[in-house]
Amino acid sequence: MQFPGPAKPPTGIVFDSAMDKIDDALALALLHGFDGRDEARIAAIGISNPNLSAAQFCDAVRIFYAGAAGAGSARGLPVGLAQGRSAGASAMLSAPVRATVVKSINDTAEVTTVIRNALTAQYDRNAAVVLSGPATDLAKLLDAYGAKDLIAHKVKVLSMAAGAFPDGPPEPNIRANIAAARRVFAEWPTPIVAAGYEIGTALPFPAASIEQDFAWSATHPIADAYRAYRPMPYDAPTWAMAALLYAVRPKENYFRLSEPGTVTVLDDGRTQFRASAEGMHRYLILDPDRKESIIRTYTEIASAKPVERKKKLAAK
Amino acid sequence: MITGKALPRRTFLRGVGTAVALPFLEAMVPALAATRSSKPPVRMAFVYVPNGIIMDGWNPDYEGQLGTLPRILKPLEPFRQDILLLGNLTHNTGRALLDGAGDHGRCCASYLTGVHPLKTLVDIKAGISFDQIVAKQVGKQTRFPSLELGMEDARQAGDCDSGYSCAYTNNLAWGSETQPLPPVLDPRALFERLFGNGRAMTPEARARENLYRRSILDFVGDDTRKLETSLGPADRRKLDEYLSSIREIERQIEKAEKDNAQIDPHMEKPYGVPADFAEHFKLMTDMMTVAFQSDLTRVITFLVTHEGTSRPYREIDIPDGHHPLTHHRNQPDLIEKVAQINCYHLRQFAAWIARMKSIKEGDATLLDNCMIVYGAGLSDGNRHLHEDLPTLIAGRGGQYIKSGRRIVYRKETPMCNLFLAMMDRMGVHAEHFGDSTGRLDGLDLA
Repeated sequence: MQFPGPAKPPTGIVFDSAMDKIDDALALALLHGFDGRDEARIAAIGISNPNLSAAQFCDAVRIFYAGAAGAGSARGLPVGLAQGRSAGASAMLSAPVRATVVKSINDTAEVTTVIRNALTAQYDRNAAVVLSGPATDLAKLLDAYGAKDLIAHKVKVLSMAAGAFPDGPPEPNIRANIAAARRVFAEWPTPIVAAGYEIGTALPFPAASIEQDFAWSATHPIADAYRAYRPMPYDAPTWAMAALLYAVRPKENYFRLSEPGTVTVLDDGRTQFRASAEGMHRYLILDPDRKESIIRTYTEIASAKPVERKKKLAAK
Repeated sequence: MITGKALPRRTFLRGVGTAVALPFLEAMVPALAATRSSKPPVRMAFVYVPNGIIMDGWNPDYEGQLGTLPRILKPLEPFRQDILLLGNLTHNTGRALLDGAGDHGRCCASYLTGVHPLKTLVDIKAGISFDQIVAKQVGKQTRFPSLELGMEDARQAGDCDSGYSCAYTNNLAWGSETQPLPPVLDPRALFERLFGNGRAMTPEARARENLYRRSILDFVGDDTRKLETSLGPADRRKLDEYLSSIREIERQIEKAEKDNAQIDPHMEKPYGVPADFAEHFKLMTDMMTVAFQSDLTRVITFLVTHEGTSRPYREIDIPDGHHPLTHHRNQPDLIEKVAQINCYHLRQFAAWIARMKSIKEGDATLLDNCMIVYGAGLSDGNRHLHEDLPTLIAGRGGQYIKSGRRIVYRKETPMCNLFLAMMDRMGVHAEHFGDSTGRLDGLDLA
């Protein structure tokens, strides 16, 4: 009798964002939710806006979920933080950070190094990169020695909240670094799926969920950030959440995919899609009748209380 | 009268079957150029200790100028202006990266190669180590491109760590991706290699020499006397000190051999290897000093004991094996023993640094013209962590490194970035090595 080998682990997610919109924080909660359900693994967290409080926030969220799961201070790679001048901290980061090991920039890692190191530890084509915010970090990663080859081997898809499809005005994430976006669309060696501006705005995250579903903790850092971001109540667009949802559950048909083609970034930041059979790019298309199901998935997974580690192990 | 004539840098004292290189002497500097460009060469060495370090006793709780040093580094306190502590350097290639257990095998094999070694017992594969890249270039100017030294006899085949060949745990330097360079362990073999005209002595020749028990210096006596007449007082004193140090090494080896003759023959001690750890360490580092001083080589790697070693330290009343102790499960008594072993290693190292610092070379010291890295391939040996590796550089690499400080880099900063910076300092230019992401900055900034 042959014993089966170890099962391939769930997709390793590299999540790179500016961590300056509440959508980024919600996506981080969604990612921890998927990780807690063993549907995905957090491979690396990168922050393209060089702001220490963003790194502290991500680290505090990690500690919060680890604590809720009874996993102590277990941790993987440090938060990757871009270097440079910060554009300033988002209002959502003004909420008090309760526990973090990030005290200074030296407690974070250079963002492309941490993404590179995370990818070296993934099974071939078992990682997905989710981008929300400017493509600065990923463009820089392409310059790293051997990185393109590494990405081609390890990453199955780059799912990015970027652009507007089939057309639309310049999208903020693209406009934030047009050169980087152009470079990533032109040189990234794996398929790219774009969640356009129209997707995130069509799928608002309900403020009511923050008040109800996240209430299992009085000190939930995501709920705190949500309240600090804007006066409540408000519903938040979900560009990053959509990109992440596709990356983790590509076969669930939450979205339809466009035909393959090539995205070109124009000088003013608009995106142009040209269909072609050999193209590596697609964009997400939302069917109105899937909207409710997607938002329900968002709220259920993002707000889920982690299963305690002991219970999880006992259930296996 | 100033003639501008100088003693050639590669002058040897020659005798039958013997050639003793000379240290850097003032007479080697042309008189007119003495204040200008003639500089002693920069040398580099790696001193590797296994099984990680108790990091609470290594990392100071401050950055910048070194003040009071933590417990394990205490022996280096007299030399704190001569060392640079580097924090957060990481070897990602030493991590499992889907290969499962075997951190001891990986951390040693990746330490100087910067690559993730192939998990295997047979068809070993790592990469050329960076010391060998340097040796291939600067080694053309010295008799030995590099020296690979160690202190613990270890096999080169078989399984030493969860499916990793012993070739990975027992070698630091790699001449190519499939060719580890086993360290020389026997002080006499090293001595003969350094001073025996490059030929390995046959047992018969060694027996003949032992019979007469003559110093190697006796063979070069004529050359020595001739040279002394042409030297100034300072050089004569330096030459005398240098030759005395060679004689002292000979004396220690003879003593070790006599001691070993009294050991129970069932114990299978290698010929010429002192039974005492500290004595062995001193002997090896004394010869490293002479090798640097006389420019016999500019590149040395020193694997103190092999990775994963279970060597006991009865010298300091620790009969337990080193490796089992490092898996201390946070038990204070076991942590204390590991810390004592760490301290013991540092005491030997500090004694070497004192010796290197005592030797004048031009306007500085021999230590000033070296970069001696002391470190390990694991930080926390209990958890097998490959980040924040304990790393210090003794010496200034030829007045380049601003010592006396602790620099903490960002997490995950590749250790290979340090290697690139060191290669620059050794005059070997490379854009990339291992998993480097750039050159480590700040070494020269006060």
